[in-house]
Amino acid sequence: MTDPFDVAILGGGPGGYVAALRASQLGARVALVEKDRVGGTCLNIGCIPTKALTTSTDLLVNARRAKEFGLTIPQVAPDLPSLMTYKQSTVDALVGGVEQLLKERKVTLLRGDGYVLRPDRLRVTDRQGAISEVTARQMILAPGSITARPPIPGLDLPGVITSTEALNVDGVPERLIVVGGGVIGLEFACIYEALGSRVTILEMLPTILPGGTDEAIAKRLALSLRRRGLAIHTGATVQSIESIECGLRVTFNQAKGLNAIEGDRVLVAVGRWPNTEGIGLSEVGVKLNGRAIAVDQHLATNLPNVWAIGDAVGGWMLAHKAMVEGRVVAEHVTGGQRAVDYRSVPNVIFTRPEVASVGLTEAQARAQGADVKIAQFPFSANPRARILGEAEGLVKLVCEAGSGRVLGAHLIGPHATDLIAEGALAVQVGATADDLAWTTHAHPTLPEAMLEAALGFRDATIHFHSR
Amino acid sequence: MPDYLETTVDKFTFKVATDRFYTREGVWALPEANRVRIGLSDFLQQRSGDIAFAEVKPASTKVASGDEVAAIETIKVNVVLGSPVNGTVIEVNPDMDLKPEAINQDPYGAGWLAVIEASDWDADRSRLLDPQAYFDVMKAEAEEEAKKL
Repeated sequence: MTDPFDVAILGGGPGGYVAALRASQLGARVALVEKDRVGGTCLNIGCIPTKALTTSTDLLVNARRAKEFGLTIPQVAPDLPSLMTYKQSTVDALVGGVEQLLKERKVTLLRGDGYVLRPDRLRVTDRQGAISEVTARQMILAPGSITARPPIPGLDLPGVITSTEALNVDGVPERLIVVGGGVIGLEFACIYEALGSRVTILEMLPTILPGGTDEAIAKRLALSLRRRGLAIHTGATVQSIESIECGLRVTFNQAKGLNAIEGDRVLVAVGRWPNTEGIGLSEVGVKLNGRAIAVDQHLATNLPNVWAIGDAVGGWMLAHKAMVEGRVVAEHVTGGQRAVDYRSVPNVIFTRPEVASVGLTEAQARAQGADVKIAQFPFSANPRARILGEAEGLVKLVCEAGSGRVLGAHLIGPHATDLIAEGALAVQVGATADDLAWTTHAHPTLPEAMLEAALGFRDATIHFHSR
Repeated sequence: MPDYLETTVDKFTFKVATDRFYTREGVWALPEANRVRIGLSDFLQQRSGDIAFAEVKPASTKVASGDEVAAIETIKVNVVLGSPVNGTVIEVNPDMDLKPEAINQDPYGAGWLAVIEASDWDADRSRLLDPQAYFDVMKAEAEEEAKKL
């Protein structure tokens, strides 16, 4: 037993390691317990490796279009072993970077399975089975999430995979069936489409990207994917997956009756669940809300000096949401006060084209009784988008009708995931459409589409005409 | 195949199908029993440019004459199209989602937008232009625009 730490953190993902780095920066002695590699789902089997794959496959798609850009590239083909090397070395470099930072900040990294014994004590069991205990004045629970496993018969069949296996591209299935039209399913759909799979997406709800994505944007993405030949079945509840002679058959129920499709591989991507079982939470009396750890607006659990952040508290399971919660809770455990402004947490989807949003959707704003004015601008009228050959999509700003205050920003199109930062800033500081419109944006760049959309609030769009 | 009135203005040729009626803005209405098929005139589609996106009000939407029944987006313009008739949208061209360019390629055929159950076609028709009247309006407009360039 060592001296008590100021803070013990269970889980070294984006929430936990950021909390550790920040708490240490604020003078706390910090112990971080991680069962695997630091970086959690995001760095090891989530955001980072998938973005390595989307980067490679975007390049592949563009290389195939080389002629349009006046280039001759004689042979363009994915090289799967090299692709895996690139993906893994990117992940390894970033994991190494986090480890280095933890060392520099003198965070004690304890490798092993953590288990909450008491509100101030964790048990750590390492790979060899050796047990140690950590005592701390404050505890931050950041155990993350696990892949959701819906009760579908056939989930264990060979060829039925989750996103974790889908990252290890050892071959390209001729026909890929993706169960789940959310962020994870759609990103992989685009990756495998580029690699050469024929992709079919099954979504239980009436639209893809259910929840939080503006309807008009989700509709545009669905159109874009369908125009490229991806098949999308919405309102489709999967009944079973079975092995057949030439692959797998997925049977699903739709309003029009039972339907079945066949494929060579089935990716089940129906979301993630808070990872709250088997780590002592219920035993020690941490209150749960369903599977998620219940927290108040300060991220405090029902137990004194026990806090929780990230995917484990439910809501949006986003690494950057976990990171900001990590920073906020680090201030709490070191005597400070701060709250997370969830309104300005953006949501990004690395499909082709990309989708990003922040703040209220048009429907949400209207449901809240806001008098809304929509201001929008298509990328087809943005010079940079045309130069890039990616002129598909639009910027849609949801503004308060009187003041012009930006309540939400919703984008589909080139680099939407980067462009959303300006929307997040606008929502965070309460900027108006006029503020955006009178901030000169460099020409010719994609952010000009934000300016032009903002001009639309006063029907003053320059490079697009409505009649 | 319908017959066409045709004119060439400044190297652009515009056709007007003679089997249907038109709004001044260039939305055509083709009566089929008590239903009316609608679409864009050749002039309107050429003037709008390459169509990237067409959004048509879904089936069972009630529209009054002049109300927005569809919007099309091209590189530099968004064009809101007013309904030529009063009634209810009963069918939307299923190809509009995936192949809106059909409007550019075949404005009087495959590029139709919707079928509307008209509540009073005779009254609607009396407000619409016949092919010759639309042809004259369109030609004058095309020539006017050619002068500006």
